[in-house]
Amino acid sequence: MASTLISAKLPPDVDPTKAPIAFGRRALPKLSREIQSPELLTQQRALMALCDLVHDPENVYQAVQIGFLENLKTLLLHHDSTVRQKTTEILYIMAMHNVGRQGLIQNAVIPVLTELLDDPEDICRKNTHQVLDMMAKLPEGAVDILHAGLIPLLVVRLKTESDEIQELILGTLSNCLRMEASEALATDAITILKEKLTHPSATIRNKAAQVILEIGTHPEGKSTVCEEVIPLLVSLLEDTDPEVQASAAGALMFATIKPKGRCLALRAEAIPRLLKLVAVENSKARLSAIKTLTMLAEVAEGRRKLLERTDIFQQCLRDPSEAVKRAAEIAIRVIRWKPF
Amino acid sequence: MLPALRPPPSAASAVPYTYCSPPRAVPARPKYRAPLEADEPQKEPARWANLMYDRRVVRGNTYARQAVPTCIHHPNAFEIQRQREARRKALARKRAEEQIQLRTPEPVEGREHVHVQTELYLEEISDRIIEVDVECQTDAFLDRPPTPFFVPAKTGRDVATQIEEGELFDFDIEVKPILEVLVGKTIEQALLEVMEEEELAKLLAHQRAYAELRNAELAEVQRLEEQDRRYREEKERCKQQQMEMLQKEKETMEKIAAQAFAKRYLTDLIPSVFNNLHESGFFYDPIERDIETEFLPWLMTEVEETLEKKTLGRVMLDSLIRTVTEKRLDVFSQKPLPDQVEAPAEEHRPTDNAPQVAAETEAADQAVTADEETDQPAAEDQASHHITFQSEEANQEAMEDSETD
Repeated sequence: MASTLISAKLPPDVDPTKAPIAFGRRALPKLSREIQSPELLTQQRALMALCDLVHDPENVYQAVQIGFLENLKTLLLHHDSTVRQKTTEILYIMAMHNVGRQGLIQNAVIPVLTELLDDPEDICRKNTHQVLDMMAKLPEGAVDILHAGLIPLLVVRLKTESDEIQELILGTLSNCLRMEASEALATDAITILKEKLTHPSATIRNKAAQVILEIGTHPEGKSTVCEEVIPLLVSLLEDTDPEVQASAAGALMFATIKPKGRCLALRAEAIPRLLKLVAVENSKARLSAIKTLTMLAEVAEGRRKLLERTDIFQQCLRDPSEAVKRAAEIAIRVIRWKPF
Repeated sequence: MLPALRPPPSAASAVPYTYCSPPRAVPARPKYRAPLEADEPQKEPARWANLMYDRRVVRGNTYARQAVPTCIHHPNAFEIQRQREARRKALARKRAEEQIQLRTPEPVEGREHVHVQTELYLEEISDRIIEVDVECQTDAFLDRPPTPFFVPAKTGRDVATQIEEGELFDFDIEVKPILEVLVGKTIEQALLEVMEEEELAKLLAHQRAYAELRNAELAEVQRLEEQDRRYREEKERCKQQQMEMLQKEKETMEKIAAQAFAKRYLTDLIPSVFNNLHESGFFYDPIERDIETEFLPWLMTEVEETLEKKTLGRVMLDSLIRTVTEKRLDVFSQKPLPDQVEAPAEEHRPTDNAPQVAAETEAADQAVTADEETDQPAAEDQASHHITFQSEEANQEAMEDSETD
């Protein structure tokens, strides 16, 4: 009579498209050999089996240990689209685990992924972008992507790809530019991002605003952002999606550091909208709004307007988030500052 | 039908029964065969009595065999002899045939025999027999129809058993563990996937929170930087302005001082310049200049001429007086002695007076000349007066000169 003990093994399946998996520790080495076989069907079956195995982190670790990534790198450039698709999927799943990410960095997989950005298959490209997005979340991965010179290529593809992939690209860009924002300036990314700010999809607007935020941390980026994007960002402060509002406030936070940006923002009537945002539930939005108001309070005009509304900031002093409290204190101090 | 059986020999003949293959015990066999070299010269004795390999068994068709030998293992002497003779005869016959065979004479020297076909048409002679293949084919048959399904006739008896409910097994109880395993494994797989996604989501949320804080702090840092930069710039500008002001003040003071000094210095300039110019003769009265440059030289030249005339006159007078005095001297020297005493006195006196006389003579000359001249037009009276006055002056001067000599 069968017992109810669930074993650690995966349930046996009779999927004919998958290669049979050897027992225990022999599974991955055998698959590794099969992947290198010259016959296409064997390779495909091995890849399908590997795809399932790789969901387990221990298998990921073992795969990295036995040098699977070298084989996968060669397979990335295979002529058959199924092989490429499955390989990219496997890399994506591996990148979801930290061990896998480290392995990807050590084996220098990212430069090879550059070749796949132009793949004719949609799903291959999507998987590639997913891998890049995952890798960019890790600081070393982001540095790797920067070194491989992918930023200009990604920016160009923002114009042409589908919405899903655009989201992934924007995510990658925002994480990479956090490390080093100067790359984006060379490629004139801001014009493209300006268009995205008016995209119908909320996620894309949100992510585009985040990328602009990251560009704004760089001094040159600030001037470019000031010139072109501030009115758009101010209008986004009243967007329907709260996430978009928060990101727009964040981007404004950096854009208004320069005096020119401050004047532009004041002229675009940013203060009333930011004051509305201060009372919102999203703590990120509150924090960004308070910080932006602090920036605007550096200008005399802004100070005048905000002196009347210091009660709002008093309220924020009792906020549950520590950062918001601090920001509110600083804001009050700046507003009450007098030149003499 | 089998051929007629030979009557069993044991009934009539007296030959003792001999075995074709005598029975023998199984010899002891070595485990391994002896090596092959030992066997090659002689074949092993047959260890088996296999029908297939038995030479005594007739192979092939038996219709053509002439005689069935009774027994080849023990032939009679008579039989042996007969065989030998038969063999000899065959051999002799063969030799005879060979000799009888017609032989053509040997070819003449320089020629050789060649087989030639003499028929009308040459034939190719070869060992191969000319064969002609002939085929024939039956009509195409239809496909063999499938054999009908063979259903054997029913044999036996029908017997039935009945299984009541719950006698074999209880489906619900038995199915439970199977179901549990199935469902359990599916859920486990699903949970794994959900956990993956949750892990990812947590990671993202964590990162977002961190990013928020970081951005806020970064913005604060940059704002303070900006502020600091502004204040510093302002300070620099103020300082710069102050320095400029001081500089300007100093300059203006210096300018004023320089101006005062220059003014004072220059007040004296114009008069001095004019003075200098005046002194160097740049400003002149034209009439005065005219007088100076033209009138006075003319006057001077005129005066010079007049004076020259006067001196000429005097010189003339002098020479006249000189001649006169010389003449007088001559005259005097020719006079008597009393005059000589007086003469030395006179000489003395003349010597004393000589200069005086000379002077007087000069004067006299002059007077004479003057007189002579007075004879001339009286217009010169005044002039002569003047001249006498002047001659007196000249005398005095001469005297003074002589005295000083």
